[in-house]
Amino acid sequence: METIKEEKGRFDEWKLSARVFFANRTAVAGLVIFLLFVGDAIIVEVAPGLVGVQYPDSVVPPLFSITHPECVNQAPEPPSFDHPFGTTEYGVPGEGCLDVLQLVMKAIRIDLAISLFVVLVGAAVGTVIGVVSAYIGRLLDEAMMRITDVFFSVPFLILALALSFVLGRTVLNMAWALIIIWWPLYARYGRSLTLSTKEATYIEAAKAAGSGRLKIMFKHIFPNVVPPVLVQISLDVGTVVGIFATLAFIGVIPNALVPELGALANIGLNLAPLGYWWTVIVPGGTITLFSLAVNLMGDGLRDVIDPRRRS
Amino acid sequence: MKLWVYVLRRLILLVPTLIGLTLLVFALEHAGGPSVFLALYINPHLTGSARQQLVDQLTARFHLNDPIYVQYFYWLGAILQGDWGTSAQNGQAVTTNFVWFMPNTIMLTVVASLLTWVISIPIGVYSATRRDSVLDQGVRVATFTLYSMPIFLIGFALFLTFGTSWHLLPAQGNIDDNLLPTLSSKSWFDSNAVSYPTHIYLIDALLHGDVPIAWNAFLHVILPAVALTLALLAGIIRILRVSMLEVLDQDYIRLARAKGVPERTVNNFHAKKNALLPTVTTFGYLVSGLFGGAVVIEEIFGFKGIGWWTTMAFLNSDIAVVMGSTLVFGIVLVLTTLILDILYGFLDPRIRYE
Amino acid sequence: MADALVIRDLHVQFHTRRGVYKALNGVNLRLRRGEVLGIAGESGCGKTTMGLAVMALLPRNASFPQGQIIFDNKDLMNLPREYWERVGDRFNPKQNERILRRVSKAMGRIRGVRISMVFQEPMTSLNPVLSVGFQIAEAIYVHDPASLAHRVLARTRATPSQMPELLAILGTARDDEAAVKEFAAKHDLLGIEDQVLSVWRRDDVHISRKEKAIRLLAGQQIRPVERNIVETVARAGSIPPRFSRVPVLSRVVRRVLLKEGYRKARELLTSLGIPHAERVLKMYPHELSGGMRQRVVIAIALVNNPEVIIMDEPTSAVDVTVQAQILELVKRIRTSVSAAFLVISHDLAVLAEVSDRIAIMYAGRIVEVAPTDKILRNPLHPYTQLLISAIPTLEGKPVEGIKGEVPDMRALPAGCAFHPRCPFAFEKCLEIIPIDLPHDRDQLVACWLYEAK
Repeated sequence: METIKEEKGRFDEWKLSARVFFANRTAVAGLVIFLLFVGDAIIVEVAPGLVGVQYPDSVVPPLFSITHPECVNQAPEPPSFDHPFGTTEYGVPGEGCLDVLQLVMKAIRIDLAISLFVVLVGAAVGTVIGVVSAYIGRLLDEAMMRITDVFFSVPFLILALALSFVLGRTVLNMAWALIIIWWPLYARYGRSLTLSTKEATYIEAAKAAGSGRLKIMFKHIFPNVVPPVLVQISLDVGTVVGIFATLAFIGVIPNALVPELGALANIGLNLAPLGYWWTVIVPGGTITLFSLAVNLMGDGLRDVIDPRRRS
Repeated sequence: MKLWVYVLRRLILLVPTLIGLTLLVFALEHAGGPSVFLALYINPHLTGSARQQLVDQLTARFHLNDPIYVQYFYWLGAILQGDWGTSAQNGQAVTTNFVWFMPNTIMLTVVASLLTWVISIPIGVYSATRRDSVLDQGVRVATFTLYSMPIFLIGFALFLTFGTSWHLLPAQGNIDDNLLPTLSSKSWFDSNAVSYPTHIYLIDALLHGDVPIAWNAFLHVILPAVALTLALLAGIIRILRVSMLEVLDQDYIRLARAKGVPERTVNNFHAKKNALLPTVTTFGYLVSGLFGGAVVIEEIFGFKGIGWWTTMAFLNSDIAVVMGSTLVFGIVLVLTTLILDILYGFLDPRIRYE
Repeated sequence: MADALVIRDLHVQFHTRRGVYKALNGVNLRLRRGEVLGIAGESGCGKTTMGLAVMALLPRNASFPQGQIIFDNKDLMNLPREYWERVGDRFNPKQNERILRRVSKAMGRIRGVRISMVFQEPMTSLNPVLSVGFQIAEAIYVHDPASLAHRVLARTRATPSQMPELLAILGTARDDEAAVKEFAAKHDLLGIEDQVLSVWRRDDVHISRKEKAIRLLAGQQIRPVERNIVETVARAGSIPPRFSRVPVLSRVVRRVLLKEGYRKARELLTSLGIPHAERVLKMYPHELSGGMRQRVVIAIALVNNPEVIIMDEPTSAVDVTVQAQILELVKRIRTSVSAAFLVISHDLAVLAEVSDRIAIMYAGRIVEVAPTDKILRNPLHPYTQLLISAIPTLEGKPVEGIKGEVPDMRALPAGCAFHPRCPFAFEKCLEIIPIDLPHDRDQLVACWLYEAK
């Protein structure tokens, strides 16, 4: 394996990585599904009319009960040709005939955006803190460890509830709450990656050659830290969607008109036991599918990065 | 005797974490300003001069006009004395509420954990030893799917199928509603429908020899426990399978085979013992998710544990309970992690004897 | 048969994502009873693969297109070879795994008791969560629990009055082993022999202490439950199903027998030169040094008196001082043990010290076999000559490396695999694979240079 690496250049390294990834059929399947989700998000954002979505930012279009009086108190309908995922009903008095497929398409974009926001900000902040504290070491490192310990000491869902309570129960605040919960994970992860790289002798060699401290950090540590962190980010996007949706399902966002998969499930919470199972199962299933795709992709990426699994 | 040093070190690390936890909760409670903090101790229905009197009392007691770091110590004092505020929902002290509801949650999480381990170990070991067999592939698909499902979906799916559609198992509360009137006449129930001595219907009924009630309570535990188990299982089986595969590649396993140890023993004894170590560590990380999951599951099934109570508090803006929950869950998680760490120290001789 | 093990034309291939590695390409080897045969060669020439093949410990992507491994008149490679003959190129690792599992099961009576192996890395060869004593005791328990039972019984049956008689016999006997065996047979004390001899043969204690220790062997008290267990196992010759199937009872039986296994392990470790063996037994592998661990692994290999012991690079992963200790140990063991040794090493100097004969391997074939002094004084094969000249000596003569590289085992050159690097190669070498040519009575060399005209 060493010989092969030495013979080929950097570009071939990427080609080999791509080959390993695409050899994994399930990872490719995950990628395809993920791209479908991303595609949906982009289309709904840019040209919702293309897929027949109106009012992409709201579950119920404005003045719905007036424009569609026949839909008031209309019970949810099961999946059919017209409504592949059925319909649902919002609120009391219920505003019905809301096509679930459309709602899901709108919701995917919101969930994806929120999740990316949370993970990217959390990862950026966390990784930087972790790398810096690990590199500088000693007291700063100890302090960081204790602080992250405190954040890990409360079950994350409970902490999310408490933070949402304090910050206010809106979508944006919930995202901030999740960022506050998420950064310690990346701080720890970045720290452990930095520590293992720090051991590497070539850092010492660079120091001997006279490079400044900051230069050493950027040149040597970050390239070893960034790829695994990127893989972790890709995995976490799926996890955060699940957590956010779970919080929304519990009802953290009151009277949510925001189309979000968990909020959609929450809408169906009282309807499903009456026999309208799709109102909860479809949004939940969408989250599952997304998580599945992300996890499969992440596994594939891990295969690419971890040299042992390549053979 | 390095184990004692290990335990001691963990205990010492406990202190700053607990202190940090209290600081965190303190910060949360004061984040909204003094009026929010006062809401913890004042019944929202109280108005007028009675309210003002209470406000003055509390301001004096917690030194709300002094600098924040002084306030922390008086607050901590109150916490340590057991005064965490009053619930706006039933007017009871927060600590009393927790004492009533906590045992149910503990029972649920303990049952789910035990079930998880009992099921996961044989499946994980078998799946790894019969790699790529039909069973292994089935296990991988199943655990992968469960792992990707959000916790509420697992709970809700069970709720719909077994509870509502097929009416096989009860899916709400701890006991059938129609049994509640009979409960109030029992000596071991009080007016708040809290049972004694353990506050867990199932156990107290057994202790008092009341089998029909115990049976009914037991049925109500099944679905929530199974939901939690399924969620936990997925993570445990995955890590166990992966560790087993890694262990089976090791030199010492090859030596055991070279010794002539039968394959079954190699797998179930030599390999499993090693593979369990990272699995226990992973379980430690999953416990946080387990408690969070308990909150969601309790809400879905109306299972009256502290998770359910917290959700109700959240939706009803009962700040005292929400903050108190954060603190109590934090303490429980920290203690659980400590116990698991000590357990791991026992299991791994490299820590025990150094 | 004078041969402990015969390998005939063995071919082994590994099927990987990067291609098919032909690890062994027609290995021919005869291991005679009681001899020490060294196998030398560079890394990657297949020596370890050969050792693993004998033990049937190869991974599931290994196929066996041709060849036989004959032990005790049976071909160990029967099943895998039949499978290959059936499927040929449609080789499937999953199906192969099933075949290999069956082979493993069949090998269960051979591995660890008739053929045993010592692996290269002592640091990772022992299970980190089991005590060292357990790992040795287990080797006996798995194969011959009855012997453990007999040991216990013999101690309970021996009377203190018998011991002085035994001591007297030992004092005058020439062959102590035969004498003890006769004594044991006469007094129905089967099982006492090892215990007596392991004390008697120690050279680090005074005779008075030895006598005292032997005297103490007699008249051990035993609880009725244990006596029952031990007697049943001894009589049955193994652990009867009514013990092994019952959950709690099987554990008790295991505990009783393993306890005796620990005792035997202690005797063995002491004889291997480990001081304070009782304390060492209770330790875990990470508490021991590399040299100690290697000794434990050797003890595990010896404990059941196997006929063949394979040692794969026993000195490569330890430092020089420990290397010397281990070599001393091997030399000492072979005098007291009747087994044949197959010692694999890339270090000719190590092999020169302990082997009776040395075989040189290259690219999956044996290229030369000869008695040690002959091969060192008069190496025939060009590769052997180059290997020997590459050994650093005290005189400080210039060390010459061998030009070229080990061939890619996926695409071996035609003809003799060594011809690209051979200074004497001629046309025949490029075309036809050399066969083993006899030379000078007890040498075999696979090189066309020595083809009799």
